[in-house]
Amino acid sequence: MSETCLEIRGLTKCYSGRRVVDDVSFSVEKGAVFGLLGHNGAGKSTTIEMILGLKKPEKGTALVFGKEVAKHKKESFEKIGVQLQSSFYQEAIRVEEVCKERTALYQNPGDYKELLQQFGLSQLEKSPVNKLSGGERQRLSVALALIGNPEIVFLDELTTGLDVAARREVWRTLKELKDSGMTIFLTTHYMEEAEKLCDRITLLKNGKILTEGTVDEVVARSPYDNLEEAYLWYMDEEVEL
Amino acid sequence: MKRFLRLYGIEQKLFFRSADVFIFNLCMPVVALFMIALIGGNKSAGENMTYLQSAFASLICVGICCCAFMSIPIVMVDYRDKKILKSFYCSPCSPAWLLGADTLCSGVMSIISAILVATVAIIGFGYRMEGNVPAFIGAWFLTMISMFSIGLMIASVCKTAKTMNVVTSLVYFPMLLFSGATIPYELFPKGLQHIADFLPLSQGIQLMKAISTGNRVEHIYGIIVLVAITVVCTAISLKTFRWE
Repeated sequence: MSETCLEIRGLTKCYSGRRVVDDVSFSVEKGAVFGLLGHNGAGKSTTIEMILGLKKPEKGTALVFGKEVAKHKKESFEKIGVQLQSSFYQEAIRVEEVCKERTALYQNPGDYKELLQQFGLSQLEKSPVNKLSGGERQRLSVALALIGNPEIVFLDELTTGLDVAARREVWRTLKELKDSGMTIFLTTHYMEEAEKLCDRITLLKNGKILTEGTVDEVVARSPYDNLEEAYLWYMDEEVEL
Repeated sequence: MKRFLRLYGIEQKLFFRSADVFIFNLCMPVVALFMIALIGGNKSAGENMTYLQSAFASLICVGICCCAFMSIPIVMVDYRDKKILKSFYCSPCSPAWLLGADTLCSGVMSIISAILVATVAIIGFGYRMEGNVPAFIGAWFLTMISMFSIGLMIASVCKTAKTMNVVTSLVYFPMLLFSGATIPYELFPKGLQHIADFLPLSQGIQLMKAISTGNRVEHIYGIIVLVAITVVCTAISLKTFRWE
């Protein structure tokens, strides 16, 4: 029997009268990779922030493992790994130091050396974080999200701003993570990323859900045969080439 | 506790890694001590005090001043801007851990600076305290806590790094120059002395001068002011604190 990790019902958030997230509902099953797709400003990050209790929704609920994160913060974040959009680090901090700091935050942390190994970062342990390449830095942020031995990870726009090679490096990492059975919630605006990784996707525009399902289902419901064209069709922004 | 100390250990390492920390906390007060002791030395600075005695009680506060008005607000605003506090929020620990660890780093740095000044004064210039040493140490810690509370308040109230930079400069430099921490208070013209009396750090320094020279002056007034500053500023910083 599949088990629901994340359950969202009617989540709504307004900023100065404008609904940035509008009655959003979906659920994520254990072991699935769920992709929230949409343009910049579609409400993806705000949705994640409400799920994590960083922002308070006007309406609706978000339950992770049956609990509201904001009300059970300590307990919830032992099971939730998070990589926030564009992570920054302390000035002059080294890779192993960031890892040690994060390790100190959890009751039952994993071995960061193993994680660095897994993500191909072992040789960079002593390097300052700000000397890492974009791809290395993002792989580090995934590794950091996993330090607490979470059951679900939230990855917000992990590959935005990376070049093609670096993006693929990160995808390979996520693929391995997926194969290990980790539940992954990710936001992206790269359709290729969604096609490669996601079991289910939800398309968000102006805070509203346009459609959801497996990648195949979403494509099948459009007049096109690939996700990128289908996505633009759903977004009502088809551009003739 | 063990986990907090591990976090603190790393933050302290990072703290020591920045060069300006050494210049402002360690070099500046020692250089100033040398200058004042060599030039003024045992000359009387008035009020039954030599320049060395005056300098001792004030330069021992330079580390406090640097940490309270530079390190604490800069680190906190930086961590907020870089969303480091936010990422700490998304963990079983509170961002308060990180802020606590960094405040502790500043405390340790202030202590190192004070010990260095004291060592140079005692060994290099034969300084001996006439007053009560434990009372002096108590006054020093009270001054540190109350100045740190001002720094925390600045960090909480300032919304952006820009305003924080302006505010810290406006607080730090006058406090450093006019409270008597670097330039001997006794050299100031009377008018400036009156203005300097209003600076929070001056209260601490005056208190420490009085205690260190064994002067029987009203200690209680300075103590009340410092405690009041601590209470008010801590309350404001807790009330206005935003981790994002």
